[in-house]
Amino acid sequence: MVLKGAADVNAATEDDTATAHDVVYCDYQSAKPVDPRVVDAMLPYFTETFGNASSLHGVGDDATAALDDARARVARLFGAEPQEIVFTSGATEANNLALIGYALRNRRKGDHVVITEAEHISILNLAKYLEKNGFTVTRVPIDLYGRVSPKKLRARLTDGTILVSVGWASNEIGTVQPIAEIAEMLDGTGIALHTDAVAAEGLVPIDMSAVPVALMSLSSNDIYGPRGLGALYVRKGVQVAPVLLGGGQERGLRSGSEDIASIVGMAAAADIMATEMPGEVRRVKTIRDRLVERVLAEIPDAHLNGAPLDPPAGRLPNNAHFRFDGVEGEAMVLSLRDRGVAAATGSACSSKTLEPSHTLLACGLLHEEAHGSLEFTFGRFSRDDDVDRIMAVLPDVVARLRALSPLYRAKSPV
Amino acid sequence: MKSTQYSDKTLDHFRNPRNVGTLEGPDVAVGRVGNPVCGDMMDIYIKVDDERIKDIKFQTFGCGSAVATSSMITELVVGMTLDDALRVTRGDVADALDGLPPIKMHCSNLAADALHEAIKNWREGVRPEDATKTPVETACHPRPAEAAVVEVAHLADYAGKGVYTSLPDPGELSDQRVVVLDTGDRAAQLAIDLTDHTGRVVLMTSGKEPAVSSAMRSALRLSDVKILAEAQPLELLGEGELERIRVHDLNEDEEYELTADAFVVLE
Repeated sequence: MVLKGAADVNAATEDDTATAHDVVYCDYQSAKPVDPRVVDAMLPYFTETFGNASSLHGVGDDATAALDDARARVARLFGAEPQEIVFTSGATEANNLALIGYALRNRRKGDHVVITEAEHISILNLAKYLEKNGFTVTRVPIDLYGRVSPKKLRARLTDGTILVSVGWASNEIGTVQPIAEIAEMLDGTGIALHTDAVAAEGLVPIDMSAVPVALMSLSSNDIYGPRGLGALYVRKGVQVAPVLLGGGQERGLRSGSEDIASIVGMAAAADIMATEMPGEVRRVKTIRDRLVERVLAEIPDAHLNGAPLDPPAGRLPNNAHFRFDGVEGEAMVLSLRDRGVAAATGSACSSKTLEPSHTLLACGLLHEEAHGSLEFTFGRFSRDDDVDRIMAVLPDVVARLRALSPLYRAKSPV
Repeated sequence: MKSTQYSDKTLDHFRNPRNVGTLEGPDVAVGRVGNPVCGDMMDIYIKVDDERIKDIKFQTFGCGSAVATSSMITELVVGMTLDDALRVTRGDVADALDGLPPIKMHCSNLAADALHEAIKNWREGVRPEDATKTPVETACHPRPAEAAVVEVAHLADYAGKGVYTSLPDPGELSDQRVVVLDTGDRAAQLAIDLTDHTGRVVLMTSGKEPAVSSAMRSALRLSDVKILAEAQPLELLGEGELERIRVHDLNEDEEYELTADAFVVLE
């Protein structure tokens, strides 16, 4: 599969016939292509500046300098201080360090942890792990649009609460949580707020100098940097125990020789994002808005899951999440795959557990509705004509599967 | 192995399903298995002549393997005697498709069950319309909706905190997830009216369809009210106010929790 545009980021595609059969990729929440400018920035660090940042010789010093510089650049994108950034192998590890590391280090203060019903599976499984290890976890419900209410959250805090974890935005339905409001509510209470910001990075403004979050998980790939790298933001003064022990790198919080090339890649990605984010957000939002408008207008009995498009701050600008009455999600994804469109679903049939999306159920959807979901997420290399190419096939895919379905009875022809 | 790593043959049957549709006539029977709650549901229609399957059609809601297994079995058994067809197993269908991903072997491989159900219905003289649409009175777990009301645990505890026994103030319900218990036409009309005030109104009924007049049934179908059939409320849950309803799924005989902000039980 060749991803259109990824290889020639700024070059206009003159030869459209060469890419006519390429895939329309609309699954940016699952994986993003690394920006070619990031790859260029990384290359010297594989063969030229290859040293170990812990070494005392000049080759090691070059690596140390690159590491320090990169840390400062990543910190700058998120309004953080360089020493508050701990590089990890990805956001999953950052979540592990945040939840397990914070809970263990602060156990003497209490054993109660609060999360929401909209969290990524990485957080849900960490919560189960904490429960098995003697902590109590409370899950705060979400509203029809997937939003957690600070009031409901506050009602669940106890004297023993030490940590609250709320994702900045849902990776599935794109609902943006009121993180600033929750952070201010918890500020000064001694309860730490962790946020998994992976779905929100590069799409909504994130400024640690303005929002009193204690811990924040980040992924390099979600700002078009390399896979296999992430970071945990640890606010100055917040105490966390390491979960990976070894040589004491990253202030002892994350041992292991630093992956300088990837870290430089994340820094390059952060620099590009800092410059291009406003324009990029406007562009993907235009594409997303047009898809939502056309799907709801042209396909009967189609619904938008998650928050409405207005107000814009309530929903990630690149996320369109639908459900279609009487159709199952995996069947739609397979049919779209055959027709050159790469999309995602929260259907049970696409998951390892055969359970439909917990987030959709928590929003109040019935199982049969959650089975019929289809998610499109756009990004830096999405093209303005992607919507036309999706809409050239999607109505037919839905109609074809409805013709097979014993469940679907049209309300009225559109 | 990913759940969607299907064999070429499975993909072929998914892309080009054979024998899609329904059959009619005095020599037709249908078998329905699955449940939309589980994400798979299929109807298999057989036309029987002299104890043989003369024609066969299917309709399926479900994932790739649910469609492919339905299509495959129609090819396997057309022309077979009913006795031979009863011996076709789920495994035979999976083998004929060159295998299914392990996780799909049970959940989405219901075609043999649907076929066997169709043959059983044929032999017992169950008409297609009865096999696919059981009236409320003869639902698998018949239970009058009124009787169920009394049994909902903590109903009184949430009075004024999400539970309404008369028309709620529609202004309070904007953006709320409202569940209306089916107690007949009045409840159904209320549910329809509430869709003007919130995008999410569910009419919960213990029957296969709401216990309403046929005119109301049409009105419901044209409305934005979502019908939750074969469901019985067991218990209300929530921190200080209603947040979830524990529901008994009468078809699967399982329990699950439905998120809701308001529960309307008309007196």
